[in-house]
Amino acid sequence: MPDIEPFSPRGMFHEGWTAEVSDYAIACGWALKGKQFIVGDVAGGIFAFEGDTGKIIWKKENTHSGGLLAMAIHPEGEIFATSGQDGNVQICNCHEGKVIKTLDLGKGWVEHLKWSNDGLFLAIATSKKVYVFNEIGEEKWISEDHPSTVSAITWSNKNELATACYGRVTFFDIVNNKTNQKLEWQGSLVSMELSPDGDIVACGSQDNSVHFWRRSTGMDAEMTGYPGKPSHLSFDDSGKLLATSGSERITVWSFIGNGPEGTMPGELCHHTEPISSLAFSNKGMLVASGSRDGSVVASFLKNDGNGDPVGAAFAGDLVGAISWRPDDCALAAVNAKGVVNVWKFKVRTNLFSKGFK
Amino acid sequence: MSIKDKVPVTILTGFLGSGKTTLLNRILSEEHGKRIAVIENEYGEVGIDQGLVINADEEVFEMSNGCICCTVRGDLIRVLGNLMKRRDKFDYVLVETTGLADPGPVAQTFFMDEEISSEFTLDGIVTLVDAAHIDQQLGRSDESSEQVAFADVLVLNKTDLVSDDALDTVESRLRDMNRMTRIIRAENAKVPIETVLNLSAFDLDQILKRRPTFLEPEYPFEWTGVYDLDPGKYELMLEEGPDPEMSLVALVNQGESEEELKDGAESSVRLYAENANTLEPGNTIPYGEHINLKLEDKGNKSFILNIEKPTKIGLFTQHTAEEFNMKVIKSDENKEIPFNTERFWQAEHEHDDEVGSIAIERFGDVDPEKLNTWMGRLLSEKGVDIFRTKGFISYSGNPRRIVFQGVHMLFTAQPDKEWGNEPRRNQLVFIGRNLNEKEMQEGFDKCLI
Repeated sequence: MPDIEPFSPRGMFHEGWTAEVSDYAIACGWALKGKQFIVGDVAGGIFAFEGDTGKIIWKKENTHSGGLLAMAIHPEGEIFATSGQDGNVQICNCHEGKVIKTLDLGKGWVEHLKWSNDGLFLAIATSKKVYVFNEIGEEKWISEDHPSTVSAITWSNKNELATACYGRVTFFDIVNNKTNQKLEWQGSLVSMELSPDGDIVACGSQDNSVHFWRRSTGMDAEMTGYPGKPSHLSFDDSGKLLATSGSERITVWSFIGNGPEGTMPGELCHHTEPISSLAFSNKGMLVASGSRDGSVVASFLKNDGNGDPVGAAFAGDLVGAISWRPDDCALAAVNAKGVVNVWKFKVRTNLFSKGFK
Repeated sequence: MSIKDKVPVTILTGFLGSGKTTLLNRILSEEHGKRIAVIENEYGEVGIDQGLVINADEEVFEMSNGCICCTVRGDLIRVLGNLMKRRDKFDYVLVETTGLADPGPVAQTFFMDEEISSEFTLDGIVTLVDAAHIDQQLGRSDESSEQVAFADVLVLNKTDLVSDDALDTVESRLRDMNRMTRIIRAENAKVPIETVLNLSAFDLDQILKRRPTFLEPEYPFEWTGVYDLDPGKYELMLEEGPDPEMSLVALVNQGESEEELKDGAESSVRLYAENANTLEPGNTIPYGEHINLKLEDKGNKSFILNIEKPTKIGLFTQHTAEEFNMKVIKSDENKEIPFNTERFWQAEHEHDDEVGSIAIERFGDVDPEKLNTWMGRLLSEKGVDIFRTKGFISYSGNPRRIVFQGVHMLFTAQPDKEWGNEPRRNQLVFIGRNLNEKEMQEGFDKCLI
């Protein structure tokens, strides 16, 4: 249990709704344009709630024997995919949770799922291989074996997929089946994010550093000095700021001008225990962070990466995942005890303003 | 999170065919009330019976700085990172490595990765060795000697396939390589469960509570016989043996209890440290002195023991009596007097293996600053070759004993209980490859005040 005292939502966070799932909640996301909120727990329970009220719409348990590992909601929000230790991927309908297609990928854990931005492709990483399927579950591409287990995948544009593993990031043109680029660096890459234009590749590394490359210039840089491995990375929608964290502190690198090389990053210190989830809002320079101590904070950032908190709330236990509603007017957090919290996020009116305690 | 709330992890290493899976199945099938999650790197040979079993390919991740101590096991980080979300399903983790695994990165994972070390604690490293094949394996592969060097417990398995003599030889070789380990002999991996689980082997405090000195001392002699002798003249008669000479200390009034034998052994160690007086056959053996019997001549050789009043004589001999068919004969009756009691000691051995243990034991206090400088330099220069370090130290001016341990260059030192009336002393064990004992002892001696 966290050591901090429970507190009521402050600043721009307002009471919304809470609900519960059956086990440790590890994944969540908004569907149907914010009308529905879907939560997955570690044991394989999937729950869909009404976005405004938290009323349960449907639920199903034991979707993946051995447990759930990943969930990804299609950008259109009508379907979603889940994967687990059983080596399966399920593509499901959001309205009823019905399985449209089950993909059996063998014995390995299926740990990563990513829909392409236009929603045409679903990328799936299991052990050393990456697969691409279309929306209806037809196989479109398979990678060769990577040198080690694939630790992150992300789309750089509609046909190009980036994969990270020990020692390298690789860009594949999955339509023409060719390798576009290989960025090599000896280190265990544990996380990867791309700037929205796909030019900057940022990776957190096991040796407590963030390594990034600019694809257009081939320049790369290493940001060291993290107290822990930077498992959490998030770019803002303009690609100006990269928030990173491997401890209770958030370090924000600004890519404005010649940065971030040679610049001082912004530092946000709002939590007492390491960050367990980190996400920029869909639009604008708001970053939300959830911590092992159960606290959730939203900070408004300036161009240099520094910023101030604009709201805080208590999720009750280690924050497993957070998700901004598509309109950024609500933030959801799910925790290790299976509790779901959705707070409204808005400017307080004068009448109700209490300010920060 | 305190160490009590963390999930203990046992690492099971050993060559293919040493019996790891058999031991694993034994552990899983026994009633011990634990729910054990198993991470298996080696599969196919024998299936695992039950429980939460996760297969994962071994992935050794070196860091860009090239430092061997930062090398971790990516597969364990991944699997344990997921397991920690399912804490309600298990309360113990067993990791079965492949036969060729280097235990260093496995152990280091539990120190180097914050997420893992905040939830899990390395309980111990158990290495299985196949008694019939370990001798060849040690000669052929580095992995095999490293697995022996890292072990907190060594299970000498398949003892039914090897003679007792061969077992003794193997055990003594393993003991030389790793003097902190506990060696358990087993047939078909049949070992009591408590000897492999919940060892708290990385919690030095616990170890020292169980074994106030975790070193089995090595003596310069192998055997003691206690003889009850009336006044008169006796002959110590020896035949040809493995050596053309043999060291000996004879003590009068030697008791026969274990405690008295150990007291006698301690006096003898001190006497053995002095230069020996060489005795030719026919000479009289003095009491309480280090002597060296000349045994070059063929046939029986006799040395004289004179007894003035009834006493028990303790003979502390470099080799066992059996090796020289050594007898005590009462001269006037020409009658053999058998010993009342005998005791064998852990003897010093020649260290043939590259991998070995070095122990440093010194009374007194050390200067913390000097020690830190020395240890810092030692580990930075030799950290690659030093696999494990354990010990306790007496810092001058500190009322508490400092316990410490390390894996390669990673190193922790913590204050432990107060010394109280106990004599202040230092005990350090290094296990590693090609370590220079003399240099290390001299280095340590310079830190003493």
